[in-house]
Amino acid sequence: MDNLFSIARNVAIVTLIVFIGISCDSGNSSDPELDVMPVNSVTVDGITISLFSDKELETGTNNLYWKVEEGNSNVDVKSFSIMPMMDMGQMQHSTPHTNPVAFEENDAYFYNMAVFIMPSGEMGSWDISFEIETQSGEMITGSMSVEIASSWKLTSVRKDDKVYFISWMMPQKPVSGNNDLKFMLHTRETMMSFPAVSDANLIIYPYMDMGGGAGHSTDFTAPEAMGDGIYVGDINYSMSGTWTTSVKIVTAQNDTLPEVVFEYSVQAK
Amino acid sequence: MKYLLILFTLGFSLLSSVPVHSQNIRILDKETLEPIINAHIVLADGEIVTVSGKDGEINLSLITTSTFSVRALGFRTTEFVVKDIKEIIYLPPLVLEMTTELIVEAANDRETNIHSYHQHNSAQSLDELLSNVDGMDVIQRGAYAWEPMVRGQADQRMNLTIDGVPVFKACVDKMDPITSYVEINNLSKLEVDKSGTRVAAKGNGNASVNLITQKAQWERLKLDFETSLHTPSSQQIYRMNVSGGDTLNKNAFRVSGAYRKADDMIAGNSIQIENTQFEKVNLNLHYRHKFSSKYEFEANYITDKAYDIGYPGLLMDANKALADIGRIQLNIADFDSQVFKINSVVAYANMIRHSMDDYERDVANRDVMRGMYMPMYGETKTFGGKLNGSLTFHSTQTDWYFDAFSSEAFGDMKMQSLDPTIEEMLIYNMDDIITRQVSLGFEQAFQLSNDLNLRLEESVQFKHLETRSESFASMFEGIYNRNYEPSQHLLFSASGTLFWMATDALSLTNSLVYSERSGNHMETHGHYIYNYTDGYFYDGNPWLKKERSINYEVHAMWKLHNQSFSLTGFTKYYTNYIDGIISEEISNVDFKFKKYANVGNALLMGSELRILNRLGKHFLIENRLSYLFAQNLSLNESLPMIPPLNGVSTIGFNQKNTSVSFDITWASQQNGIAQSTSIEDKTDGFAVFGLNVEQQWFNNRFSTSLKLNNLTDKYYNRHTSIGNNPEQGFNVVLTLNYRLGN
Repeated sequence: MDNLFSIARNVAIVTLIVFIGISCDSGNSSDPELDVMPVNSVTVDGITISLFSDKELETGTNNLYWKVEEGNSNVDVKSFSIMPMMDMGQMQHSTPHTNPVAFEENDAYFYNMAVFIMPSGEMGSWDISFEIETQSGEMITGSMSVEIASSWKLTSVRKDDKVYFISWMMPQKPVSGNNDLKFMLHTRETMMSFPAVSDANLIIYPYMDMGGGAGHSTDFTAPEAMGDGIYVGDINYSMSGTWTTSVKIVTAQNDTLPEVVFEYSVQAK
Repeated sequence: MKYLLILFTLGFSLLSSVPVHSQNIRILDKETLEPIINAHIVLADGEIVTVSGKDGEINLSLITTSTFSVRALGFRTTEFVVKDIKEIIYLPPLVLEMTTELIVEAANDRETNIHSYHQHNSAQSLDELLSNVDGMDVIQRGAYAWEPMVRGQADQRMNLTIDGVPVFKACVDKMDPITSYVEINNLSKLEVDKSGTRVAAKGNGNASVNLITQKAQWERLKLDFETSLHTPSSQQIYRMNVSGGDTLNKNAFRVSGAYRKADDMIAGNSIQIENTQFEKVNLNLHYRHKFSSKYEFEANYITDKAYDIGYPGLLMDANKALADIGRIQLNIADFDSQVFKINSVVAYANMIRHSMDDYERDVANRDVMRGMYMPMYGETKTFGGKLNGSLTFHSTQTDWYFDAFSSEAFGDMKMQSLDPTIEEMLIYNMDDIITRQVSLGFEQAFQLSNDLNLRLEESVQFKHLETRSESFASMFEGIYNRNYEPSQHLLFSASGTLFWMATDALSLTNSLVYSERSGNHMETHGHYIYNYTDGYFYDGNPWLKKERSINYEVHAMWKLHNQSFSLTGFTKYYTNYIDGIISEEISNVDFKFKKYANVGNALLMGSELRILNRLGKHFLIENRLSYLFAQNLSLNESLPMIPPLNGVSTIGFNQKNTSVSFDITWASQQNGIAQSTSIEDKTDGFAVFGLNVEQQWFNNRFSTSLKLNNLTDKYYNRHTSIGNNPEQGFNVVLTLNYRLGN
C-alpha cells in the first residue's frame, strides 16, 4: 500500500510539473509575429523602409507588409502612399493596388494589396516608389525594385479596346475539400489607372480532366460581387490533382467576354 | 483500448466477487442441447414455483414436493422425481419453431436432426453455403468473397457479425464481406434472422446473419486434416483442426487453419474467366478456461490473409485483404442475485485492411477510366464491448443486452495516368470517419396459455458518426452548402412475436418488427464511393434522416418425425428509404454522381417454402423455394439486385457409411430490374444439376467426397452477379478427410 501512495505522489508531482511547464509555455503576445518573408529594403535619410510579403511576389494579388524604422524604433507615420511601376523601356505602366495603412493585427506593419499584372523578366522590371510623411512632417521618398514571378493566378481578357484583369485571390493553395473562392476584377482606363470592376457577373466552371477526353466538375457556389472588385463564392474540390476553372465575365452592359481558364494543382491536404 | 481494459477488469471483478450457487439445475432441449427459456416448474399440487431463465436454470430448493413436472412451450411436458435429478434435465421437443431464426448446422449431424440445414459437402465454401439457403442470396463480384444478402437486403440493411461481434468492411467497393473471414471448418452455426425480430440483441430490426465459430471443447486431443482439389479451376484447399482439453476440464483449445489457392475459374462451355484467381490463409485460435464450475473465460483470435484476388466484374483486383479479429469473453453460468444477472461480458477488437489495384490490367485499352491506374486502400478498426443478462421482477424475467463500440474507417484511391505529364490524383473516399454506437435492448417472453407464447423485444440505440478531418468535413459543406455537423441519431426498434401451437404437429408464428436505421459511415460520410450496380459515384450525406421500416411475417410449420413443411410469407415497408439521387449539376456522360438522400418509400414482399420428406430409413427429399418482390414505390420500379424465383431440390441416400445426393438448383428469369437506378439487365433462367458421393472409411477416421457440379456444363449467371460474371461450368471436387483422435 505504501508503494501505491508513493507512486501516486510521484505521478501527482510529475503532473504538476508538466502542467506548470505547459502554462509557462503558452505565452500571449498582443503583437503576434507575422509569418512573412523579407522582399527588399532601402534606407533614406537614416530611415529604413522594409517590404515583406507572405509569399514570393507573383503575378496576381499580393499582400504587402511594410515597416518604417529609424534604428530599432518604428517611425510614426502620418501618410504612406506607393506606386508600383513596370518599366518596359518604351513604355511604363502601373498596376492595380491600394496604399498602405496601419496593419490592425500588428501595429509595427503597414499593409496594402497589389495586383501585379505581369512578371519581371526580359519584358521589363518592377519598382515600387513610395512617399511617406512622418508625424513630425518629414517627407521620405524613394523606391525599391521587386522581382515578380509568373503564376497561374492572373489572367486577362480583352474585348474591343477594353482589357480586364482577373486575379485569383483565394484559395492561394487549393486543397481537397471546400475552399473559399475569391476573385478580383480590374480594368484599365490608362496606363496608370486600373479601377476595380464590381458590377460584372462571373460565370465559372471547375473541371478536372481525367485524361482520354473524359473529366468531371465538382460542386461550387458561383461568385457574387462584394464591392471593390471582389467576387466571393466557394469551390469544393473532390480530389487532388490538376484542375481548371473557366471564367466568363458578363459586364454590366450584358456583354459576355471570351472565356479564360485558370489551371492549377490541388493538393490532397 | 482503455474500454477493453475496463471491460476486462469488470469481468474479472465479477468473477472474483460473486459466490457460487450450488442449488441450480439446467433444463436443456434434448435434441439441440440448447437451454430452454421460460420452462415452468409445476409442483404436484399444480403450483408453479419458478420459471427457467435464459440459461435454462432453475433453483432446485424451491421445489418442495417429491415430484414435479416441467412445462415449456414447444416441448413435451415431463414429470421428474426430485431425488433422481442431477445437474441437467432434458425435455423432448415438439414441432414448434420458437423463433424465425434459421440454424444452419455445419456439423455433420444430419442423423440427429433432419430439419436443420446442413453443409452438404465439407468442401463447400461458406459462400456456397450462404447462397444455398432459401431467402438468402449472394452478390458476386468474382469467385471469392461473395456478399450475403437476406431477402434482397445487404450491407447497411443487414447485421453481419462473427460470434455477435460487428466487423466492418474496409473496402469501399464492398469486396471484403466479413463472411470471407470464417472458413467452413471453423463455422459451427449460421444464425439467420431474416425478419429481424431479434432487436434486443442486435440493436435494430435489420435482418441478420451471425457466424458462430467452433469453440474449444474439453475432449481428448483431436486432429482433423482435410484436402480438396477442384478441377478444372485447379483450386486446392488444405484445412486442419487441432483441439483438445486437459483432464481436469479446466483448459481447452482449438486451432484451425486453412489454405486455399485457385486459378482462373472455368465457366460453362469451357470458357475461362480471367481475373478469378485468389489465394488465402486463415487461422483461428480459440481457448477456454474454467475458473470454477460457474465461470468460464474464452479468447478467440482469427487472422485471415488473402492475396491476389481477381474480380472480373470490377476494374481492379485486390492484392491484399487482411483481417485480424479478436474477442475475449467471460461467461457467468450463475449469478448470486436472482433479480439481476449478468450472463456474459465480451470485449472485442478487430482491424481490416484492404488494398486493390489494377496494375495487372490492360488499362490502356479499357472503356472506363482508360489510361489510368487506380490503386485503392481502405481500413477499419473497431473495438467495443457487450454484456448481457437478465432482470427478474415478480417472476417476470427480462433479458437485457448492452453493446457499445467505436469504429474508425479510412479509404483512399489514387489515379495514376500512363501519361507522365498528368499529375497524380488522390481521392479520400473516407477520411478519419468515426462511428460510435451504444445499444441497450430488452426481451421478455410471456406464456399466455398452454399453446400461446408472446415474445417482446425492444431496443434503443444511439449512433454518432463524424469525420475528424476538417478538410473532409468541408467537402460535405461544399456539397450541401451548410455547416458540417456530425450525424447523430437516437434509434428505437421493437418486435413482437406470437407463437401459437395449434397441434403437436402444427405451429404458427406471427411477428411484427418496427425498426429505425440511420445511414452507415459510407452513406453519411463516403465520398465518391463507386457503386458497380448503377455505375455512379456516391457522396455521403451527414444529414440523412432516419429510415424506418415495418416488417410483418407469418410462418407456418407442420412437422412430423420424418416430414416437415414450412411456409413463410412476409412484407416489409420502408419509409424515408435511403438511396442515391443524381447530382445533375456535376454528372456527365463519362462520370455520373449521386448523393445519398431519403428518397421515399419501398416495399418488399415474398415467400419461402421448404418441404422435407424422409422416405423410409435411407432417403431424404428436400425442396426449397424462394420468391421476392421488391419495389421502389417512389420511382415505381424494382429495387436493384433482387433475385428471381429460385429453388433447390435434393434427393439424398444415406446408409451407414455412404451418402449420395443429387440436386437441382434453378432460378427463373428476372425481368424486374431497376432501370433508372441501376445498369443491371434482365437475366435468363437456369437449372443446373449436381451429384455428391461421400464415403466414410476405417471407423469414420477417413472420409472421401466426390462432388460433380453443373453436370451439363451450362454457361449461366445469377441475377445478383455484378457484371454478369458467370458461375462455374462442369467441375469436380475431390475431398479427403482424415481424423485422428476421438
